[in-house]
Amino acid sequence: MAGPLSQPTFPRPNPKLVADDGDTLRFCSTCAFSQACLAEGMDKRSLMDLHVLVEHVGPLHAGDHIFREGDPFDAIAAVRGGTVKTYVVDRDGHEHVLGFHLPGEVIGLNAIDGDHYPCNAVALDTVMLCRFSFPKIAVLAARLPGLQKHLFRLLSRDIGSATLLSGDWTADQRMAAFLIGLSRRLAARGFSPSRFALTMARTDIANYLRLAPETVSRVLRRFQRDGLVSVDRREVELLGREPLESLAAPILRE
Amino acid sequence: MAFDADLLRRYDRPGPRYTSYPTAPQFHEDFGERELREVATASNGDPIPRRLSLYVHVPFCLNPCFYCGCNRIITRDLSRAETYLARLYREIDLTAAMFDRDREVIQLHFGGGTPNFLSPLQLREVVDTLRRQFHLSDSRHREVSIELDPRFISPADVAELATIGFNRASLGVQDFDPLVQAAVNRIQSVEQTLAVIDACRASGFRSINVDLIYGLPKQNPDGFARTLDTIVDVRPDRIAVYGYAHLPDLFKAQKQIDAADLPTAEVKLGLLQLAIEKLTGAGYVYIGMDHFALPDDDLAQAQARGGLHRNFMGYTTHADSDLVGLGVSAISHIGDSFSQNPRDLIRWQAAIDEGRLPVFRGMRLSEDDQLRADLIQRLMCQGEIPITALERRYAVDFKSYFAEELIKLQALVADGLVRIEPERIQATALGRLLLRNIAMCFDNYLDQPVTATPRYSRAI
Repeated sequence: MAGPLSQPTFPRPNPKLVADDGDTLRFCSTCAFSQACLAEGMDKRSLMDLHVLVEHVGPLHAGDHIFREGDPFDAIAAVRGGTVKTYVVDRDGHEHVLGFHLPGEVIGLNAIDGDHYPCNAVALDTVMLCRFSFPKIAVLAARLPGLQKHLFRLLSRDIGSATLLSGDWTADQRMAAFLIGLSRRLAARGFSPSRFALTMARTDIANYLRLAPETVSRVLRRFQRDGLVSVDRREVELLGREPLESLAAPILRE
Repeated sequence: MAFDADLLRRYDRPGPRYTSYPTAPQFHEDFGERELREVATASNGDPIPRRLSLYVHVPFCLNPCFYCGCNRIITRDLSRAETYLARLYREIDLTAAMFDRDREVIQLHFGGGTPNFLSPLQLREVVDTLRRQFHLSDSRHREVSIELDPRFISPADVAELATIGFNRASLGVQDFDPLVQAAVNRIQSVEQTLAVIDACRASGFRSINVDLIYGLPKQNPDGFARTLDTIVDVRPDRIAVYGYAHLPDLFKAQKQIDAADLPTAEVKLGLLQLAIEKLTGAGYVYIGMDHFALPDDDLAQAQARGGLHRNFMGYTTHADSDLVGLGVSAISHIGDSFSQNPRDLIRWQAAIDEGRLPVFRGMRLSEDDQLRADLIQRLMCQGEIPITALERRYAVDFKSYFAEELIKLQALVADGLVRIEPERIQATALGRLLLRNIAMCFDNYLDQPVTATPRYSRAI
């Protein structure tokens, strides 16, 4: 396949465009742990020998729950394909979106300090997971200091991203930070940083950004009019990266 | 343009009109209320949800036109409108509840049957009901259009329609030749027709369309030329010239037409040629697929800037909308789905009386369907297939994806219908008259006949 789309768009139900699966020897290209393990000199075969890895789960379909708040915690999972939404429901029955997890990212980390998952995780589209039994990976982490460090890093990143949006930001800043944040995360996994699909519904984006759904559309429409983005259904193309970056800068602080 | 009669006859074979792709025969009954609710919810979830176009079907006609292939009910009992509207309002309640309130309605169209079977008072009530349940746009681009049978509407009623917000009208004319009118059971004088056009103009309608038909029984070049001259003289903004499709097995009303009265293929072709010459000679622009428009009309302008689209209501400038069909037999196009209400009144009523959305069949478009739908849409509207743009949008290599289609297309290249260039496939002037033949090369369903009955009209 030639042309500007040879870089995979994310995510499409088309399996050809999902990040390539690993096999018994190679890690999946989106594996959240491959770098940590390789740095320790553990290739996939030796991990298999240790009976630690790797349980591939899926495909799950839009609306399928991966775990629910209060379920006993026994595993973390890395997303291999698709998008996972984590959320909690407050006493009044209102949903609060905690985050969206893309290929290469790990869910369940915020359960590490307890016996139960503190939130719900639901597939937003066709999702493939890599499941890690937590007791086993904990044992492994004790033997591989690099893996432990990597786990801590993932954990701190998870906490950090949740607090980003609590500041007093404008709707434009929130939306820009959301788009740039997604773009960077996708780019880090080898997907196109400038063209991607928003697999989450408008209400989910609004909830996550603490905006009204109409505001999400209004801001995007204005971005589109100003030539910063082009939106076609769920597909977004970032056209004015610099102005978006500078809008997002105070929130992303990088 | 020179006509090669032999060539045109070869291409005169049954084919879809591609107001949708895939076409309605591909819809299936596995797609029901649950699926419709799912696609509607998903359409609300787009980051910028599409605006809405509403279509309201009024199935009743006072008098049967024998050529008609529409879904309609012949009755003189005006009280049937009231029982129909009672159901329609419940359908509007059920349907509107599925869509987020900030989704603007940019287009509202009444079709039929005969929408002016309803009185202006009833039409006002329908528009008011829609206004309460949907967010009707205040934009000056909002289109509120209605198909009118000029035989059953007075100039005073037309003025009344304008106060309701109607700003576009489409008038059925077909042919003024009295012999033809008698043969198709539609007696309509020039005077009453022009009176309605004048009333539309006087009341501030923005656009007037006139429908003509060629290929009707007893039709001949002299009579049709007079009809064309009469119409061109009053300069409606748009003129549609449809080819009559004689499919009596499919459309019962057509059994009343004596096939011996139908013009020969040569005469029919001559009628089309006559229409093209007269209309383009009078300054009308050929839009494609039977449609002509004055150069300053929205359609011609939209085509010039690449913003023309086509749906069940014909050509439109409103691309980025989800189409919501209301009423018996109405078709919806929401997100990547098509769906249709029951075509008979009894089933439609029964569903609504049970509090269900009255959808009886439909389909979700696969990625392949979407790509082909987009390709056919662009061909129908722009007269070309933009290879590079489609490759980029759908992440395909055009040449390998459409290898078989490109082989089929070679015959059309040889006949001078299309030119294949590196970046686009261009319909020639001749090919633009035969757009559906070009589109048929890319129709993935044509090789799988649904039934043995001919379901499509001929191309010319």
